[in-house]
Amino acid sequence: MLEHYFPILVLLGAALAIGGGAMGFSYLVGPKRPYHEKLDQYECGFAPLGRIRMRFDVRFYLIAIIFIVFDIEAAFLFPWAVAFESIGLIGFIEMMLFLSVLLVGYAYVWKKGALEWE
Amino acid sequence: MAVEQLDIHLVLMMPEILVAIMAMALLLLSAWTHKGGAGVIHWLTMMTIVAVVLVIQVGSGTATTFGGQFITDDFSRYVKVVMCLGMVLPVLMSADYIRGHGMDGGEYHVVTMFAMLGGMIMASSGGFLILYLGLELMSLSLYVLAAWRRDDRCSSEAGLKYFVLGSVASGLLLYGISMVYGVTGGTGFAEVASFLGKPEGHGSQLLALGVVMILAGMGFKIAAVPFHMWAPDVYQGAPTPVTAFMSVVPKVAAIAALFRILFDVFPTYHVQWVPILQLFAVLSMAVGAFGGLVQTNIKRLLAYSSIGHVGYMLIGLVANSQAGAQGVLVYITIYLFMTVGVFGLIIAFDRQGLGENISDYQGLARKQPVMAFVMAMFMFSMAGIPPLAGFIGKFSIFMAAVKGGFIPLAVVGVLFSAVGAFYYIRVVKVMYFDQPEGEFKVTLSGGGFIVVSLSLFMIFFWGILPGDLLAWTGASVQAFH
Amino acid sequence: MSLNHYLVLGAILFTIGIFGIFLNRRNVIIIMMSIELILLAVNINFVAFSRFMGNVDGQIITFFVMTVAAAEAAIGLAILVAFFRNRATIDVEEIDSMKG
Repeated sequence: MLEHYFPILVLLGAALAIGGGAMGFSYLVGPKRPYHEKLDQYECGFAPLGRIRMRFDVRFYLIAIIFIVFDIEAAFLFPWAVAFESIGLIGFIEMMLFLSVLLVGYAYVWKKGALEWE
Repeated sequence: MAVEQLDIHLVLMMPEILVAIMAMALLLLSAWTHKGGAGVIHWLTMMTIVAVVLVIQVGSGTATTFGGQFITDDFSRYVKVVMCLGMVLPVLMSADYIRGHGMDGGEYHVVTMFAMLGGMIMASSGGFLILYLGLELMSLSLYVLAAWRRDDRCSSEAGLKYFVLGSVASGLLLYGISMVYGVTGGTGFAEVASFLGKPEGHGSQLLALGVVMILAGMGFKIAAVPFHMWAPDVYQGAPTPVTAFMSVVPKVAAIAALFRILFDVFPTYHVQWVPILQLFAVLSMAVGAFGGLVQTNIKRLLAYSSIGHVGYMLIGLVANSQAGAQGVLVYITIYLFMTVGVFGLIIAFDRQGLGENISDYQGLARKQPVMAFVMAMFMFSMAGIPPLAGFIGKFSIFMAAVKGGFIPLAVVGVLFSAVGAFYYIRVVKVMYFDQPEGEFKVTLSGGGFIVVSLSLFMIFFWGILPGDLLAWTGASVQAFH
Repeated sequence: MSLNHYLVLGAILFTIGIFGIFLNRRNVIIIMMSIELILLAVNINFVAFSRFMGNVDGQIITFFVMTVAAAEAAIGLAILVAFFRNRATIDVEEIDSMKG
């Protein structure tokens, strides 16, 4: 019974070896000669203009969130379009249902004003 | 190029379709009416769930659709009714809470409906893909629900923790599914089971790894030890109605899906999963019993309590028999009413800005004897003290374990339930023997009164006359052999 | 390239993802990237199995996993933004207001 779990042990061992190995190796081998310019932030060769931990406007996140969902859902359209001829009316109706579900989300987002910048 | 015609019988999916359409309609309604529509949405949600329960009752027999990917049978119908109750009762009792904490606007109801829809799909899943999609619909909705009080530190932290650990669990589950797919060449439960029934379907190490990972992923979702670490924080941080919802519906859904996976897909692999689940069960009961002893927050206490309850339910799965499955259904139904009742009382305390700390209940018996009595009854029922229904749940689980030859497991279960009884009784002690602090008068809202009195009635009724419950659950597990 | 190569790649990505979550002490965004890595590892497994068995199911699952991953990332980001507004930090070690 217990020998069936041998793969898990191997996986665990491999994970530890890879994770620990990579960290330990770079710690041991990597040269550590820090000086001011090296630790400083890099900004196209200029002297830095702002802090490195500059924060993005939180509204970018909102746009990103909405974009990511609608963008990836479009992935379903490609195989559907390729197979369109052979899947018949049922395939068409199913895709329209899927798109109308997306449309509900879109209408909600629009009405809530999430698409407006101000 | 002709494509094989799919068998599509939408009639079998009517409950799910109804929930999905209503949830989307209410979402649009909430956007267009703003806050004015909140009350309407509240009642439309109630009516939808009642309609769904009626639609579920119409179905009968066992049938599949979408090429076997979606199964309806007596088991799934029973589980779905439990989920509907687990959704509608917390919503009914928390109308005040939702308004008082700025959670109204209707989206709360919509997301709750989506979470329940995911759970219903899980309970009816006939393949790993549909199981995964149902699980994700439920989990994603739950992450949002846990973080619903955006202005509250604890709530958004609970949502973040739940999200991170839940996503890892989904990843583990998927990795396991990919292993199973690689070995068997299919993802439908029927395909995988028929492959495993053949001689070449035995002894694959990759498959064993897949089963372990699937169990780990599902263990996360039901908060079985050692995958429970999210539960106390999330239970504490999430808004109380959400905690009530998530201590019932996701557990019911995940346990139903586990039944399908273990009994229908991997019955030939029971030498693999029975010991693992035995370990989960013992550890869960232990953590549930000891972890609750030192808690001062009642939602955290109930989190440990639910971890313990999951341990007992897992004993029913380990028993690997119809009796075990029946025991789990009995347990889960009674657990639903106990949990909802307790949370109903906690929400009533919340109207006074109290109720999170156990010390808030000091001396409640002097000020409000009826409230204290009701709370005490729920606590005794959770501890499994006869003649309350909690005892019937534990009894049917332990009997199934004994019948299946798992006598040591049953003995361990009885011992841990004795230890766990201590902290339930501590709450009763605080209410009856400690001095009251401060003046307050706690009243239930209309919906809260209905829910709490229904729950109280049920735990007395089923504690004394469990015949109906046993008959219903017995009939619904006939699908498993 | 045999099936094993792909499976080993998937396993390595998966373990990197798991380690990225549990060893990372700095930033929640890194955790979300690790979660994506786990899902990608799963996708590699599915596609590899699908290709070597001549069975298209795995590739269909990959589509669904991808879209669910997008939804998950969106919800994760949304929760993170809410968290950030309360705390003004996304440091992993500062997610500790509840104990017990």
